[in-house]
Amino acid sequence: MDAEAIKMLAAGLAIGLGALGPGIGIGILGYGAMQGLARNPEARGPIMTNMILAIAMAEAIGIYALIVAIILAMIA
Amino acid sequence: MAEPKRRGCLGCSFPVLIIIVIIALAIVILGFLAGPIGSKLVGEMEWLSWMTVQSPEPHLPAPVLFHILGLPITNTVLAGWITVIFLVIFSWVITRRMKLVPGRLQTAFEFLLGWMFDLCKSIAGEENGRRFFPVVCTIFLFVLFNAWLSLIPGFGSIEIAVHGHHYELLRGSNTDVNTPLAIALVSFIFVIFFGLKDARMGFVKQYLNFGRFFRSTGRIFKGKFEPIEIFSGAIDIFVGGLEVLSLLIRNVSFTFRLFGNMTAGEILLLIAAFLVPWVLALPFYGLELLVGFVQALIFAGLTLVFVTMAVSPHEGEAH
Repeated sequence: MDAEAIKMLAAGLAIGLGALGPGIGIGILGYGAMQGLARNPEARGPIMTNMILAIAMAEAIGIYALIVAIILAMIA
Repeated sequence: MAEPKRRGCLGCSFPVLIIIVIIALAIVILGFLAGPIGSKLVGEMEWLSWMTVQSPEPHLPAPVLFHILGLPITNTVLAGWITVIFLVIFSWVITRRMKLVPGRLQTAFEFLLGWMFDLCKSIAGEENGRRFFPVVCTIFLFVLFNAWLSLIPGFGSIEIAVHGHHYELLRGSNTDVNTPLAIALVSFIFVIFFGLKDARMGFVKQYLNFGRFFRSTGRIFKGKFEPIEIFSGAIDIFVGGLEVLSLLIRNVSFTFRLFGNMTAGEILLLIAAFLVPWVLALPFYGLELLVGFVQALIFAGLTLVFVTMAVSPHEGEAH
């Protein structure tokens, strides 16, 4: 494999593996929020706000992987 | 009084609706065929030059357009200035003639600000929310309108030639890593300022917690050797170090969250417009509207949460 192929492979692996963790995390968050909603439908507003905040925290980690992938694929 | 029965659908009569649907379908199919996927499937065809989109070449570092007093001015800085000017003029126009019974524009803005104000008060409490509101809402509005202004069609399509290269004249300010970093530093200083102002030593003690360690080591000279106290003092120092680390890493996380989301959105729109010209970018525009709003809300909301954490007394002070 030449360097270019390895670079592309690395970019794909970076975003693919980096999206795994946040995906699981967002799934767990959604699960928790849905359970909270089912038990307590009146608390819809605060649950939604906090869920979105927490999802953004989890998503940020995926975004790091995305930045690494973009840098690998386009700049490096 | 029964409403007169209207014929047609969506406000058009059926023949007009059918013509519109046919035109929309034709655009979808033509766009699909003109894009790279279609030409792979069907084979290369002759298209007019305005029907195809060139392969996008996104560049991460913002190009320098010109210098003012030796300071390099990039296209993202220009877009940031435009956002600020837009916000100032917008606010001036709205607040120029405020009425007790607000007009349409005033209602919209009052709703936005009132919603943000309620959020501040619900998280930080009545009095603190009032104090934190200006900075938090400024961050919110700047990030939000930055993201939304760069979605206006034609925003990024004005090109300018600098040293033989063609660059966009304007590019969303959040897609340059420096702007999110600057906003993150503003929020960092804001948190530290209010932490020091309100919680004073309590805020410093969170990060530099030498008290117990020195007290217990001092007691050795008085003949009381308490290894467990010394050990938990050392753990206090270590925890303080971790807190300092998390305080600093917060900036990196703030920066890259906003930068990554906005840049990824921009590149996503470029790629979507390249794959299927005209059509595929439209749903992603809707997505980007949502992402811009959520990112602005998160930036402002996290700043608010951190500053609330900084000013409120911690359980560590209790004992």
